[in-house]
Amino acid sequence: MLVALLAIAIGATILSGLVTIYYDVPRQMGAQFRNYGANMLLMPASADADFNEEAIEQAKSAVNKDLLVGAAPYRYESVTINDQPVIAAATNMDGAKAASPYWYVNGAWPTQNGEAMVGKSLAAVLGVKEGGTVSVIYKEEDAKEDDKGKTADFTVTGILETGGTEEDYIFISLEDMSALTGFGGRLDVAELSISASKDELQAIADKISTVSPAVSARLVKRVTQSETTVLTKLQALVFLVTSVVLLLTMICVATTMMAVVAERRKEIGLRKALGASNAGIIGEFMGEGLLLGGFGGLLGAGFGFAFAQAVSMNVFNSSISFRFIILPLTVLVSVAVTGLACLLPVRSATDVDPALVLKGE
Amino acid sequence: MFLRMIGRALFRQKGKMLMIAFTIALGASLATAMLNVMMDVGDKVNQELKTYGANITVVPKQASVLNEIYGLDESEESGAYLKENELGKIKTIFWAFNIVDFAPFIDTHIDLESGSSARLVGTWFNHHMELPTGEKLNAGVTNLRSWWEITDGRWIDEQAGDKKAAMVGAAVAQRENIKAGDSIKVKTEHGSETLVVTGVFDAGGDEDENIYAPIDVVQRLSDTDGLLTSIEVSALTTPDNDLARKAAKDPKSLGAADYETWYCTAYVSSICYQIQEVITNSVAAPVRQVAESEGAILEKTQLLMILITLLSLLGSALGISNLVTASVMERSSEIGLLKAVGAHDGAISALVLTEIILTAIIGGLVGYFAGFGFAQIIGHTVFGSSIEMKPIVIPIVALLVIAVTLAGSIPAIRMLLRLRPAEVLHGR
Repeated sequence: MLVALLAIAIGATILSGLVTIYYDVPRQMGAQFRNYGANMLLMPASADADFNEEAIEQAKSAVNKDLLVGAAPYRYESVTINDQPVIAAATNMDGAKAASPYWYVNGAWPTQNGEAMVGKSLAAVLGVKEGGTVSVIYKEEDAKEDDKGKTADFTVTGILETGGTEEDYIFISLEDMSALTGFGGRLDVAELSISASKDELQAIADKISTVSPAVSARLVKRVTQSETTVLTKLQALVFLVTSVVLLLTMICVATTMMAVVAERRKEIGLRKALGASNAGIIGEFMGEGLLLGGFGGLLGAGFGFAFAQAVSMNVFNSSISFRFIILPLTVLVSVAVTGLACLLPVRSATDVDPALVLKGE
Repeated sequence: MFLRMIGRALFRQKGKMLMIAFTIALGASLATAMLNVMMDVGDKVNQELKTYGANITVVPKQASVLNEIYGLDESEESGAYLKENELGKIKTIFWAFNIVDFAPFIDTHIDLESGSSARLVGTWFNHHMELPTGEKLNAGVTNLRSWWEITDGRWIDEQAGDKKAAMVGAAVAQRENIKAGDSIKVKTEHGSETLVVTGVFDAGGDEDENIYAPIDVVQRLSDTDGLLTSIEVSALTTPDNDLARKAAKDPKSLGAADYETWYCTAYVSSICYQIQEVITNSVAAPVRQVAESEGAILEKTQLLMILITLLSLLGSALGISNLVTASVMERSSEIGLLKAVGAHDGAISALVLTEIILTAIIGGLVGYFAGFGFAQIIGHTVFGSSIEMKPIVIPIVALLVIAVTLAGSIPAIRMLLRLRPAEVLHGR
């Protein structure tokens, strides 16, 4: 009996563990894909739209908080450093860090006003290092020749490496940019990183456009399109692996169960010889099997969840979401598999003449 | 006598032995399938992640910053270029087989007939290359820009004979009212050309403002024969570790052994380094957005598969040894009888073990091939390519099956041998 119980419990553990993982993989993997950075851009709906931080907050309210991984507003301005034209990008550093996790900063991110981060290739041209100082000069476009413009000094806290155009910019805070240029809060673009599939993103984009009319939301096709392709494959992989493992495990459980019941042919023969009806014997064995299946299933569901949790902690460093439906499902499948596995050998034993069964043929 | 007994045992208990062999086969096939898939999943997922485009860009040393920062345009070229005839060398580096695709780029400003100007980018689309090594290869942006949506018409295909062709970005097409099949006239200070538009694409980004054409057309228009402004390379890479990060800063800071390890591992930094070695005057840098994310996703997928494999290995091991124990225990009366007629403990153990191992070998063999089949089904359904057969799986599975059957049968046999024959035969 212990053998049978163990077999069922193993089967049920694998069943509940894998199904839990299967349901959680898209969510967990989706979070990993946010490494690719922003998948939605917010831009001014028209040239004179009120595209400021308020409008972005309003747009963000249309996105479910749990799904929003990061949001970074940007304002670009042409400035000069050491008489060389440079593009300065003003942003919210925490937002940029969350929206572009692949940025690598040699040194530290700026934490307060008066600090700046310089792109790698720009740093090479300017010859500045971490801890150095840069003077940024801003002149209005229509300023006169002799206008010196405004100057602000920044401490360089880190050198940014991305392998993209960001390496040519200098990054400062929005407050500093506002003090330097007096741009009045109007932004150029905002990057959002949202953990959602392409269709969900499109729905969110449509919602944002209705919620805040100053904003037009666009998907970053390169990121969303590719994510859909790869994530679909990964999900299919886990699905197929899960179904192959489950199929084989269930057959394995069934054969063990059959072996255990077949062993008791003698007992069946004896009962028949003593006058028990076939239906009675089958009922009794089935009852036993179903009870065993239920108990083993319950046990396995618990172990399976523990396993799934361990996997999730190890792989994704986050706990798994428990789906209650898996518990009854596991018990049901275990009962069905054990029941079926019992039925076959018991029937074959009851069909045979008890004398033959007892003789051991 | 021994052989006869074994033969009889196997045949008399055909049904039961078949059942055990079947269970072992199931367990072995599960182990084989999972191990094969697990070992290949890295390569396969890596291949899939190539849809995000190039993970390495190569630019000329001096020009890496000039254009963007000083806002230079065509009239005052920075003068730094890569050479087109060196492109083939990318496929000769140590990690040549990991280079999946690459494309050269050159761009210039052009004037359209309507008087507005646009950026014309020359590149390979589906370019056929024959390397000095005798290898043949198709490279180009068709695969490097898999997220482009062709809204009208088709991709340019050099091999299908598209010479004076162009693909127009959605933004330009809308502004200039260009459709697939139209002819556009483009003009620069070095000449003019009439191009046939094969397609309009929607890239969902800055590229929508550009027009793309075969590379030689653009070289002629900008008077830069055989020259390139950048190369994008898509390579299969190993996720970075501490060694790779250290080497990325300065390869010369490594010791000889570390350097060797780093150079001979497909880290993105070592591939960049090797590209710089073969392309004169170049700087190859990883595109962190792609390279970094690839590493993270690959690592997670592999870890996930390893854990699932472990679970299924554990499950099948427990299942097999469980069944074997049960089937040995069941033979208590037979073993009692053997002891009663005077068989030694050693002989009895040998008899039962040989039987079980024989069954296990048969089951394991069948299971291995079935499992390999399952792995192929998974490979073809998910990735559309077959899973490579790893020889290392064979000994692992063989060891697993033998160890598990022994672990399942030996304790049971020892327990039975300890029993007194009279008691066993009596059925207590």
